[in-house]
Amino acid sequence: MKSGAYISGMGHGGLILWALFGGLFLNARDPLPVQASNVSLISSEEFAALALPNEAPVIAVETPVSAQPSVQDDAPIIVPASEVSPDPPKPEGVKPPAAEGLPAIPESPITPQTDVVVQAPNAPAAPAIDEQSETVQPDQAPTPAPAPRVAPIAAPAPALDAEIAETTAPEIAPDESADTPAPETPATAPKEAATEIVTEAETPRFAPKTSQRPKVRPVRPVQTAKQDEPGTDPISDAVAEAVASETPEPAQPTGPPLTGGQIEGFRVAVGNCWNVDSGSAAARVTVTVGFSLDRSGKLVQNSLKFVTATQGESGAINAAFEAARRAIIRCGAKGYELPLEKYPQWKDIELTFNPEGMRIK
Amino acid sequence: MRLMITVAVGFACLLIGLPAIAQQSRGPLRIEITEGVIEPLPVAVPDFIAETADAANFAIDIARVVAADLIGTGLFREIPKNAFLSTPTSFSSPIQYSDWKTLNAQALITGAVATGSDGQLTVKFRVFDVFSDAQLGDGLQFGGAANSWRRMAHKVADAVYSRITGEGGYFDSRVVFVSETGPKNQRAKRLAVMDYDGANVQFLTDDSAIVLAPRFSPTGDRVLYTSYETGFPKVNVLDVGTIERRALDVQAEALTFAPRFGPDGSTVVLSLSQAGNTDIFKTRVDGGPLVRLTSTPSIETAPGFSPDGSWIVFESDRSGTQQLYVMGANGGEATRISFGKGRYGTPVWSPRGDLIAFTKQANGRFHIGVMRTDGSEERLLTASFLDEGPTWSPNGRVIMFTRESKGAAGARALYSVDITGRNLRRVPTNLSGSDPAWSPLLR
Repeated sequence: MKSGAYISGMGHGGLILWALFGGLFLNARDPLPVQASNVSLISSEEFAALALPNEAPVIAVETPVSAQPSVQDDAPIIVPASEVSPDPPKPEGVKPPAAEGLPAIPESPITPQTDVVVQAPNAPAAPAIDEQSETVQPDQAPTPAPAPRVAPIAAPAPALDAEIAETTAPEIAPDESADTPAPETPATAPKEAATEIVTEAETPRFAPKTSQRPKVRPVRPVQTAKQDEPGTDPISDAVAEAVASETPEPAQPTGPPLTGGQIEGFRVAVGNCWNVDSGSAAARVTVTVGFSLDRSGKLVQNSLKFVTATQGESGAINAAFEAARRAIIRCGAKGYELPLEKYPQWKDIELTFNPEGMRIK
Repeated sequence: MRLMITVAVGFACLLIGLPAIAQQSRGPLRIEITEGVIEPLPVAVPDFIAETADAANFAIDIARVVAADLIGTGLFREIPKNAFLSTPTSFSSPIQYSDWKTLNAQALITGAVATGSDGQLTVKFRVFDVFSDAQLGDGLQFGGAANSWRRMAHKVADAVYSRITGEGGYFDSRVVFVSETGPKNQRAKRLAVMDYDGANVQFLTDDSAIVLAPRFSPTGDRVLYTSYETGFPKVNVLDVGTIERRALDVQAEALTFAPRFGPDGSTVVLSLSQAGNTDIFKTRVDGGPLVRLTSTPSIETAPGFSPDGSWIVFESDRSGTQQLYVMGANGGEATRISFGKGRYGTPVWSPRGDLIAFTKQANGRFHIGVMRTDGSEERLLTASFLDEGPTWSPNGRVIMFTRESKGAAGARALYSVDITGRNLRRVPTNLSGSDPAWSPLLR
């Protein structure tokens, strides 16, 4: 019983002490900072002068007289039919212009358009090969277009083999000597972005961009079907025979496939040189171009070929193919940066250039 | 038994699936690219080579006109001459592609000019695809009188444009328009014709009568327009070569206006107002029966044919507001194609046949816009105090129109804009003008 009284007494005592001295501790805290501003005293006249421009100005609205001037220009003066002269007076002929500085109306007929003869000129001379000139390398890819992505912080274009991530991180290669080798992770970088939206109305030089298309699924390595030795099971034998007859050639690309980041990097590299005329008929043609790359990532000579295209006029298809061809050649002049160890995967490439998201709508 | 069936079905699926899987994984790496860039193509246009002494000025001037034509499209960017690492010394000299690749020039245009003893000028040119190390198409040469050197330059530019873009050009063409002088409330108006780029302005009429809405024939040799010579609007036809004109032979007591040629060059569609009602009629330019195409108590005007001549687009207020309609070339029931907020007028069918350009007034501003022929995909290309009266370039890529600035002293000028809405430019003429109408390509 006494312990309960002791506990109660100590509790009440502590409460009394806190009530007596707690305020003292609070008062000892630093006072709240006071914000001070410099002010200057002005007269009522000066205040009135300052406040005057804030008053709403009188807006003089100049409304066009006509709701549709084009119609007004062409609109006839409606008059009763009886007032219309059945035989309009003949024009008095062409008079010389009264205004000074303007060319006079020609008395003679306007010079007829000269006939232009189209001829084929002499055959051009074959250009000589200048070895010295071949050592000059062309510039790298041209300046890319403004980033279509808007983000709070502008980010440059990521490296070709970097995967898109929120932060930038270098590529980590597995350390064979380490006791617990870290897993291999590719380099990452945030996606290219600009800080503001640039609309066509603000800067009509740029075309509207649309949201990015879904990524193409990377090509999987070939999984060669394992064939069992012919056994006594007739069903298994038949299946094995059928598989062997249907897939006589083994899959060509071997080894690990390109990562999504590597494919995206290649896609961006070519896209930076793919110049789309969004107002042309070629912008309605999706064209597929095939080509081969050597181990340095450069285009194999004469390997670039037309594969297929969606329907369109021949001129539009040809223009679409030429734009794709120029993109592959220009941005691959120094060789595409692709992983050498995966060369069998990207030795032969078919690129489909789909301008659907870039054409005007 | 059930087990046997299950195993058999499984193997059958495997039999069907394996080739598909193998096919998918075999072959080249396939990637789709959906994001490119939209930027002017860098081109190099060195001064043309003067092959005769008196062709030196022509060689420079023609190269400048060719470059101006290409740059004016907004699709090309000229590499400045002071950046050149080398220049051709003769028309047949080999091309140092590496020099032009260094400058990132994607196309190189070389040419030469010579004058003959008869005063004839000869212009020849070649186009090179720099990054392919190859010539783009065959070389061509044009011959003509020395005073037509600008036309030859335009023809060179048309050929270059066509080879690079795969589409026809529009540089060797003319524009007829209404030249305006004087104060806003008392303007003197005359018909004038000029090159598409504002050069070589020549007048077709004097300022004794108000003239409106000139329209070229499909061959470019005649112009239809509305004249107030009689005090009332009447459609006239003018021969560009002889500047002879006459009133169209239609009902004398009627008011006729807003004419336009059909694609055959002989049919004319126009608005005719009689007894206070305005409808659309069709006739022949050399005389013929007047065929009524619409018959409503509302105002129908601004008709225009489709390129194949089978349809007519026009504006009407039959719905209570001014909207666009399409009907067959012989009349009949019209289909409304504009449904946006505001008023639509002055429709013009694209030479490509895929778009209709129009004037739109909404929220106190005027716009030039385009829409599909069924009214879908409407896009406004411009916006200002007053834009109106679109006309198409011969290749259907550019629209020229009238823009009037605000205020009592507001002047009217001719502007052009690409159908993408980019490359808005004022046509460089010293004259105030309105109501442009683009000719077809000259022959």
